[in-house]
Amino acid sequence: MISPRTLRNLRSELRRSALAKLGVTLVVGIFLMAVFAPVLAPHDPTDQNLNDSQLPPLGFSTTENRTTSEFVDGEVTIVEEEVTVNATAEHPLGTDSLGRDVLSRTIYGARTSLLVGVIGALLAVLVGVTYGLVAGYYSGRVDDGLMRAADVMLAFPSLVLAIALIGLWGRAAIRIPDPFVAAGITPGMPPDIVLPGTVVLVVALVNWGWFARVARGEALSLRSQEYVTAARSMGAGDAFIIRTHVFPNSVTPILVLATIQVAAIILLESALSFLGFSGATLSWGFDIAQGRQYLSSSWWIATMPGIAIVLAVVGINLVGDWLRDALDPGIEQGEGGV
Amino acid sequence: MAARDLLRVRDLSTRFFTGEGQINAVESVDFDVREGEVFGIVGESGSGKSVTAFSLLDLVESPGQITSGELWYRDEDLAAEFREQRPEAVDGEFVDLRRTSERVRRSLRGPSFSMVFQDPMSSFNPTLTVGEQIAEAVEVQRRASTNPRSTRSRTQGYGLGRMLAGMVLPDSGYVDEDSEAQAVKLLEEVGIPDPAERYDAYPHQFSGGMLQRAMVAQALAGEPDLLVADEPTTALDVTIQAQILNLLDDLQAETGMSIVLITHNLGVIARMCDRVGVMYAGEIVERGTLEEVFEQSVHPYTEGLLGSIPDLDDPAPRLQPIEGSVPNLLDAEMEDRCYFADRCPKAMEKCLDKPPEIECEGEHAAKCVLAETEYHDSRRLPEDYFEEVADD
Amino acid sequence: MTETLLSVSDLEKHYVDGASLTDRLLGVEPDRVRAVDGVSFEVQRGETLGLVGESGCGKSTTGETLLRLREPTGGTAAFDGEDVFELSGPELATFRRRAGIVFQDPFSSLDPRLTAREIIAEPLVVNDVGTAAERDERAAELIERVGLSTGQLDRYPNEFSGGQRQRIGIARALALEPEFVVCDEPVSALDVSVQAQILNLLDDLQDEFDLTYLFIAHDLSVVRHISDRVAVMYLGEIVERGPVETIFEDPAHPYTEALLRSVPRADPSEHGRRVDALPGDVPSPRDRAACFRAVEDHPYWDSDPLAHADAD
Repeated sequence: MISPRTLRNLRSELRRSALAKLGVTLVVGIFLMAVFAPVLAPHDPTDQNLNDSQLPPLGFSTTENRTTSEFVDGEVTIVEEEVTVNATAEHPLGTDSLGRDVLSRTIYGARTSLLVGVIGALLAVLVGVTYGLVAGYYSGRVDDGLMRAADVMLAFPSLVLAIALIGLWGRAAIRIPDPFVAAGITPGMPPDIVLPGTVVLVVALVNWGWFARVARGEALSLRSQEYVTAARSMGAGDAFIIRTHVFPNSVTPILVLATIQVAAIILLESALSFLGFSGATLSWGFDIAQGRQYLSSSWWIATMPGIAIVLAVVGINLVGDWLRDALDPGIEQGEGGV
Repeated sequence: MAARDLLRVRDLSTRFFTGEGQINAVESVDFDVREGEVFGIVGESGSGKSVTAFSLLDLVESPGQITSGELWYRDEDLAAEFREQRPEAVDGEFVDLRRTSERVRRSLRGPSFSMVFQDPMSSFNPTLTVGEQIAEAVEVQRRASTNPRSTRSRTQGYGLGRMLAGMVLPDSGYVDEDSEAQAVKLLEEVGIPDPAERYDAYPHQFSGGMLQRAMVAQALAGEPDLLVADEPTTALDVTIQAQILNLLDDLQAETGMSIVLITHNLGVIARMCDRVGVMYAGEIVERGTLEEVFEQSVHPYTEGLLGSIPDLDDPAPRLQPIEGSVPNLLDAEMEDRCYFADRCPKAMEKCLDKPPEIECEGEHAAKCVLAETEYHDSRRLPEDYFEEVADD
Repeated sequence: MTETLLSVSDLEKHYVDGASLTDRLLGVEPDRVRAVDGVSFEVQRGETLGLVGESGCGKSTTGETLLRLREPTGGTAAFDGEDVFELSGPELATFRRRAGIVFQDPFSSLDPRLTAREIIAEPLVVNDVGTAAERDERAAELIERVGLSTGQLDRYPNEFSGGQRQRIGIARALALEPEFVVCDEPVSALDVSVQAQILNLLDDLQDEFDLTYLFIAHDLSVVRHISDRVAVMYLGEIVERGPVETIFEDPAHPYTEALLRSVPRADPSEHGRRVDALPGDVPSPRDRAACFRAVEDHPYWDSDPLAHADAD
């Protein structure tokens, strides 16, 4: 499916562009983080320890007013003292208000974000591309009708539509057993991966229209290519032509769009978690919401997942740019000639 | 009276520096253009003929670059101006434009040189009327003639401030009424019916042939001495091609300008040109008068081209094509031999050294050893010689 | 004794132009574009019929409609006795195997993501002919027959030159061993020297496989070279047809005359020849009313449009 020529282009573009290198590093890093979360996370991300709550990250310290009561000569004296809380190596990024390890939560949060982003985008691709290819290939009235429907979907503000749908369908979550825990490699870690099922469906539903549009545009221009006419002249059916000629030739723009949409979906998922509409409790957006009320005293609770979101989104967009530049049909066809 | 030379091109080379490597698009090209003649450059795609045209007007753009060569242009005033400043750039009435400044070369575009392109549709801005665009060319030339060597005066009114003003205030025009009237006159000269009405039409409202006429009108705005026409009829139907060729004929008769006509169509060359250069792989491989090149061709490539086209008046049973295909001009893949040797039916041992240009009788010259060596089958390279080399 | 392979009568292809949704809602009467307007001709088995005309005359539409790549709006086309326009199901599939097409643009006619092998074998895959191994063998055979080597089978189209691509397109058209091939401007995008190679190849293949060609072109010299009989199209109609010598040496129709006059010959005697050029633009079927050319005012224009029709 991937020709050696495509690989060559991808490699040379990666060598040439520092931004592409950065993007690939970020995405690979976050991907590994998500896959090996139980191995990498120093603590169980759900483990609460109120004694160690709101510990600052390494290199920072905070002061805290602590009230203690002492029995001296049968009298209770209330002593107020200012205590300096130092960071501990045990919690390099500190802890949240319930004493949960922020690093572990951020590592685990990558799982939710990537799962929702990738599965959501795949669903959107599946629906949108099929829809768009059919609309573009048949064109005319079929196209008119189908694309009007897609345009209506896209006309809604996506967050509002998402919230409305979740309100309608509830916040179902699917629990998948964590293979590392099941195999006994990391006992004591959360036993399940929680996939917020409704959120996945909703982000796919909100985003498929973009894929339909791109696929439709490609199909519309590809259907008049002479090799499509040639295939018809030898008796090929529509399904064969779409599968052999139209789809493979529209893969590049769809792939680039899909990459960028993964980032958009991650942002949307974070927003939904932040607003409390996602079923997931281990998510960057959820943690930001949790940390919001402690921003003045414990800024790291909201900031760490925030940085993670920024890095993920920037990384994925850079990968999208890299794919677009490397797979540019102009380069690929190499018509050159002076 | 023999016509004088207008332009002498010597050792002109243009290279493109691309990601894939260096491309030798034009390689050491020599030719002269005389006053009032049509000089034809014929070649296939990728032979470097269009790049030659762009090089003449100094219009080669990055990643391309003219890497060497001299362009001697005859202009007494210019020669007088430079005789003091830069004596090495002046030879009699000729000035080597390559040794003048960019500004001088630019100031010559329009009043001395101008160009007609292949695709009229993409040569006009679709958002302006055809008339406006021609009037603009007239205006530029008019301003230039009041102050010949200054590019500044020609583009005055094209600054950023003017542009912003133009967006807000309609009709704060760069073009004045005289230029408009002149543009209408030009449209009439190139045979566009109802020129005053057509002045206000947009490019898409013109047919291909009419737009090509409009482009000729635009090129004539500065009353050039030399018109470079790059495949001016290739995009046109044959009946329209005949109209445009007639038009060029008439205009040349009226103005006495010289034309460099670039085309792949040997019929157009025969119909229009006094002298011809045949290009292959960036070189002019054969040149001479029309009769010399067409009837006493020396270079097997020229013979091959002529043998390749079916004759309209005599359906020969079998065409004699040239085997193989045009080389890609990548410097790394060009061997130091006659570039045509691998496709040549008469390739000999001698052809493995690069042949110089060899003068024949009259004006006839060819970069081929056959110009001075008799071909004999016994000297022929083995048929699979180049395949073996390629396999290594 | 010649045998008629294809007999076209009154072929019509009218388009409805620019009928958008809003037009329909507003009840705007759409323009009818008469791209092909009552075309009749016959093609004899084993011959080459040249269909020549300028851009927009309907010659390519005629070819594509005949192969059922577009649906006609009127007329019949009897291929070996059966009306092509009535075929469906297995009969249409059989017809598709018996008729092939070679396209003009060697770039857009080959899928850039398939190898030469896949392109040439595609008709076999579509029609479920042979096993994978047999198809490979056939692709190898065909690529050699059109003058390329089996070593090039796994290359992609962008690794070939224009002429080589056109050879691959021809190999694909021959894969199902058709009897009839529509060549739609097969050499007009090629360089002169390569054009001659392809014309010779088409000639050889015709002899070898007893092919019948409908050769569509705008280049009169090419048409003269390859055709046995010629039909000249103008504005969706055939204005003159007949044997190639008659058309080229003694054209009856003023338009044919004007076309022939306009072609510059590659001969020094051509120098400075003043052509009495046909005035005006090449008309488009889109605006028939606007397309008046002086030639249409010619006394012979309507006299006997098919003066040489099937003189043989």
